[in-house]
Amino acid sequence: MYANPVAYIFSCIFVLLAHCSMLANIYFNGNYETINSVIVLGAAVLILDIVYFILMLFFKQISYAVDFLLILILNMSVIFQSCFGGVSFNLRHYITCIAALAACKVGFLFCRNYKWLQDQKLYIYGGIGVLMVVILLFTGARSMWIDFDGFSIQPSEFIKPLFVLACSTSIMDQQRKHKILFFNVVYENFALFGLTAAIVLLQWWCRDLGSLPTFMGIYASGFLLRICYPKAKFSKKKLIAAGALLIAVGLVAMKFAPEYVQHRLHVDIWSDKTGDGYQQSQALIGIASGGWFGVGAGKGNLCNVFAYDCDIVFSTICEEWGLLYGLMMVCVILIMIAIPLINPPRSYFHGTMSAGVCAAFVVQMALNIFGSCNLIPFTGVTIPFISTGGSSMVVSGLMIGMLMACQSPVFKEPKKPKKKAKPVPAWRWTE
Amino acid sequence: MNSLNLILCAVAAAALDLCTLILIITAYREKRSATKNWDWIANSMELAEQGMVYELGCDEILIGRHASADIRLPDLSVSRYHAMLTVSNGRWTIIDIGSKSGVFVNGNLVNEAVLHENDIIKLGNRRLIFRKRRNDNVR
Repeated sequence: MYANPVAYIFSCIFVLLAHCSMLANIYFNGNYETINSVIVLGAAVLILDIVYFILMLFFKQISYAVDFLLILILNMSVIFQSCFGGVSFNLRHYITCIAALAACKVGFLFCRNYKWLQDQKLYIYGGIGVLMVVILLFTGARSMWIDFDGFSIQPSEFIKPLFVLACSTSIMDQQRKHKILFFNVVYENFALFGLTAAIVLLQWWCRDLGSLPTFMGIYASGFLLRICYPKAKFSKKKLIAAGALLIAVGLVAMKFAPEYVQHRLHVDIWSDKTGDGYQQSQALIGIASGGWFGVGAGKGNLCNVFAYDCDIVFSTICEEWGLLYGLMMVCVILIMIAIPLINPPRSYFHGTMSAGVCAAFVVQMALNIFGSCNLIPFTGVTIPFISTGGSSMVVSGLMIGMLMACQSPVFKEPKKPKKKAKPVPAWRWTE
Repeated sequence: MNSLNLILCAVAAAALDLCTLILIITAYREKRSATKNWDWIANSMELAEQGMVYELGCDEILIGRHASADIRLPDLSVSRYHAMLTVSNGRWTIIDIGSKSGVFVNGNLVNEAVLHENDIIKLGNRRLIFRKRRNDNVR
């Protein structure tokens, strides 16, 4: 049960208020054929809000701030996605949001006790290995999707939370050093480096270069917290060396990047408005036409552009709801992942885990938003919780669950099976 | 866009802003209950030596001479990374992590030992006492 009922009630009221104000905006300013579509959307959003407010009380947590921010952003996402090109309730996205909430609670329950997680590290590495084999066998050399009847999944997305867990470490883990020649080394760090290299090669092979920066971001956070532990005393020499290595790797990657990537690096979107620069030029025009307050829910034109609801979703939101609302949406996600700064985790493992989740979210958002604004080449990475896509939603939910676990940790040694006492031989003398 | 729509958009943005602000305040309020919970987990213990008190604020505390250690004991008889304090199930344990001069608890050389209130820990030439946290306001 929540420790502070006043804060709980106030948080619930203000989340409902934020959603109601959006719905009122749609009612007065939206583009809809019948009022029923607005009523259905409103009912669905408010029911999900209330049900989640009740359900979250059944989970014994120390902090619920992330829960409130999560439901706020998820229902904002449902409203945004239901308004693109005319107001009509987007059931598919609604279901993926519910799946994300369920995944979040699963992530929370699994990651609360890091001592148990440490014992499962081999299985985590194994899980990543299995997913990599699945990608190798089922997606093909130039694809990242496995198609089923009616839906498709992206297995590389599911590697992200496991990779965050693999990058997490405790101080005790870093003290298990072994002497090789003159150096004291930690075997796990080498294993992690090998795993990262394997993931990079695999992503390169299936041409999923958009996800590469996310994995590199997670690894960079894990790497930095390994070389600078435990009080994050940042060694200047190590940081300069790491930065130089990063620049060198980036330059080599750009040199040997596939042709289409090199083309994207140099394409001028305004001179090629109908060709390769079509999406980005339209996205920028959309942001400009939306202005500060947008053209109105469902009145935008970007819904006619390919990937308006995932790759250039930031521009679509800015066009319909305005740049102000788009930036605030980004702020809400940033505040959600910045909660560990307010209430820092009490264990180093959870600290590194939070850093990994934050790195993944920040890199993904930066790639999507800067890509839409033509500040960097277009990558096709999704904004967590806002873009459509079941795999992305579920994985984002899982990672936020991990963040919640860092806020409400458990410090208990996992129960180990008792060793059976050896039977006493019949001939032994007993008193 | 007419003025009514503009006002509605501004109201929606303001409501979102307000909601975010309230949730940030909620997070700050929850920090108190998190601290209380930690005190319960850590049994409100602290490590003290003459004129110095060290808070035990996280579940793994590295003690040593190195500048990056959580509890820094600038003494050549203490190793760079000498010992580690860990908490689990409400019990604190001290573990020797390869020190040169060893870890002594109540005069006994140990590799790993569960700590009890008022145990004396000797690391090199430094003596520390593991005790309940004292309230500064109480004399």
